[in-house]
Amino acid sequence: MNQTTSPSLATSTKGLDEHYDQSRKAQRQADLWLMSGAIMLGTLVLGPIGFPVFLRGLSLQVKAQKAGLTVRPVLVTLVGYLVAIDAALNSFGWAMDMIAHHSLMNRTILTMWGNMFDAGYFWHYNELWIGGASAPGEKAWVFALLPIVFSMRLAAAIGFLQMKRWGHQWMVVTCWFGVVAWVGYVANMTIFADVRYANVVFPVVGWWLYDIFYISPFLAIPYLHSVNREIFSDS
Amino acid sequence: MSEKSLNSDLPMGTNAVFANMHKWLQRGLMVCLTALVLEGALTMPLLAVWYGWPTLSFQEICSELQKIRFSDDSRECIYPYPLFGPAEGAGQTTAKDQWGVQPVPEYKRIGYRELITIRNARLAQ
Repeated sequence: MNQTTSPSLATSTKGLDEHYDQSRKAQRQADLWLMSGAIMLGTLVLGPIGFPVFLRGLSLQVKAQKAGLTVRPVLVTLVGYLVAIDAALNSFGWAMDMIAHHSLMNRTILTMWGNMFDAGYFWHYNELWIGGASAPGEKAWVFALLPIVFSMRLAAAIGFLQMKRWGHQWMVVTCWFGVVAWVGYVANMTIFADVRYANVVFPVVGWWLYDIFYISPFLAIPYLHSVNREIFSDS
Repeated sequence: MSEKSLNSDLPMGTNAVFANMHKWLQRGLMVCLTALVLEGALTMPLLAVWYGWPTLSFQEICSELQKIRFSDDSRECIYPYPLFGPAEGAGQTTAKDQWGVQPVPEYKRIGYRELITIRNARLAQ
């Protein structure tokens, strides 16, 4: 590269520009694949297609890093995509429950999932006049958390992955929302455990699979408050 | 080792005070991200196979689940559902529960591809 062969400042600046240009392109290319994969994984239905797409993005990210390009810190990538997938899974699932509860896809996929892991999405499903989940308190969680937590968290994750200052700030805000959501939701599921878990296929395993791995706020918050905020840009 | 050289080994945004915490967070995040990616990829196909696809179509699975949910063999999954129709379960009186401040559902647990045998047994009657 120019910066190693030429001693002149002008040439080395040019080399540096080229390096950043290449780095930006590589990061953008990896992100296109990673975010497309994350969104598809978040829909569940397109999950099997999203999986290889996400892995391709991951391999591009690792390749760029190994090539010595200036890409995002690994922790920012991990936090960003964990939150993006978590938010997408909850946003799409609950959007279906809220406005598409009588679609065939929702009545099969969501009630199969409910029957297997959490009968909040099977017990008396589509019986309330408003449709969707009927378990005690569940519909209120859907209305509160879908627009105010999970959709905003998906937007925040995108801004965070672009290393924007607003992305970092909204990650902090929505991760704290996420703590409230997780604690309240788990308490609701525990208090009404009979409705949620009686005669479902995998009650305990289901709880672990679909609650524990959504603890992204608890892992993200310590990082968000301890990372040097100067690495996020105002522009 | 000087502070400068120590810091130069750290990822961007991580300072020496939080280096250890960030290392452990990275491990935890890696586990959770792997789990969520696998969940996103595998949940739908595994659910479909467990409940009888491709032997049963999605609409048949939907109907069988409704018969179990409302303990009523006459239920069918109407598709496409009328856009402004009432909720499909509204006013039903057949579902079985032990009612109380903590309701307990009385439908039975569905085993691996059991919807197929339940459906075949009913059709044979």
